[in-house]
Amino acid sequence: MNTQEAKEILLLYRGTIDNSDPQFRAALDYAKSDPGLGQWLREQTNCYDTIRAKLRGIEPPPGLSEKIVRRRPIPFPRDWSRIGQLAAAILISVSVTALLMKWSEGRHRPVAGAQEILVTGEVLDLTCYIAYNLSGPGHAKCARDCIRSGLPAGIKTQDGKVYLLTGEAGHSINAEVADYAAKTITIKGRQTVRDGFAQLQVEEIRKL
Amino acid sequence: MSADLEFENLVKLYYGDLYRFGLSLTGNETDAADLTQETFYIWANKGHQLQKAASVKSWLFTTLHREFLKTCRRRNRFSNESIDERTEDLPNVPADCAERADSRTLLRILGEITEDFRAPLVLYYMEDLSYKEIADVLALPLGTVQSRIARAKIQLLRRLTETNLPLEEAK
Repeated sequence: MNTQEAKEILLLYRGTIDNSDPQFRAALDYAKSDPGLGQWLREQTNCYDTIRAKLRGIEPPPGLSEKIVRRRPIPFPRDWSRIGQLAAAILISVSVTALLMKWSEGRHRPVAGAQEILVTGEVLDLTCYIAYNLSGPGHAKCARDCIRSGLPAGIKTQDGKVYLLTGEAGHSINAEVADYAAKTITIKGRQTVRDGFAQLQVEEIRKL
Repeated sequence: MSADLEFENLVKLYYGDLYRFGLSLTGNETDAADLTQETFYIWANKGHQLQKAASVKSWLFTTLHREFLKTCRRRNRFSNESIDERTEDLPNVPADCAERADSRTLLRILGEITEDFRAPLVLYYMEDLSYKEIADVLALPLGTVQSRIARAKIQLLRRLTETNLPLEEAK
């Protein structure tokens, strides 16, 4: 190593921070044996320290750190399993909401366009009637109990047509017709058909 | 420690260094403050991805430098000029040349140095980063970083010397 080579290496030497860097050791050792290089090194190290101190002495504008802290964004955790769970939850929630809305829409569909009719016939509990063909006075008690307990009620006309009895949207008609189980009555109501099944939304009950 | 407190401590610890680095790169106080804010904004969103806590400082400087380069590209200010390729003579620097320059003069002279050379030089002077860390921050090979620092330093010292000399001597 000669003086010029040592100088080129030591041009990058900053002091303590670079002492552990092996590239500088040989050049520093060489500088110890060359008074001229040693003097140059001291001057350049002083110059480095001065420039560093002046640059580091620059103060940031007042309030900058507070501004940064104040405007900190809320971090969104990028945990993909959690994101997957969240997406699934959103999907389920949206699906359930859509189904509920559709169901609710169906429930509240007005029957204003439905035909108003008078129907005379026997009040049935539809479960026993459809499943076991039970009706008539001999089945009155069972029919009354079934209707009171919430099982669907119906009315069968003299010509054999059966209607499911319903109340206004959201209201059960069971309590009002249970006492007429197996009896013949006339009901004024609005007729609708859903999927081929006749329904009668009860508006008025006339006991014969 | 809560995330808020951790973030606040991190800001207190590094915002000054980042601001000075930004100021040296841009030469503009507003741009430097914006870059500093942007860096911490990115940290708040992506910092949790960093595996080694010890690399936080390097990560912040890398991010600020990257954002600076993006800004340069957006503004089309990215200079293609480079420091003269010829070998620079090592200057004989008067012992007091840096003493007589204030920080504003230093920043002005730094601003005259091409960005490719300025960033490594600023990190060399201002931050306690090893050469390997500087290379990592700038995503450059170690040899390139050292070469750029050496050439930029020679240019800085030469301009500093010329700035401090009386007019007739500078000629």
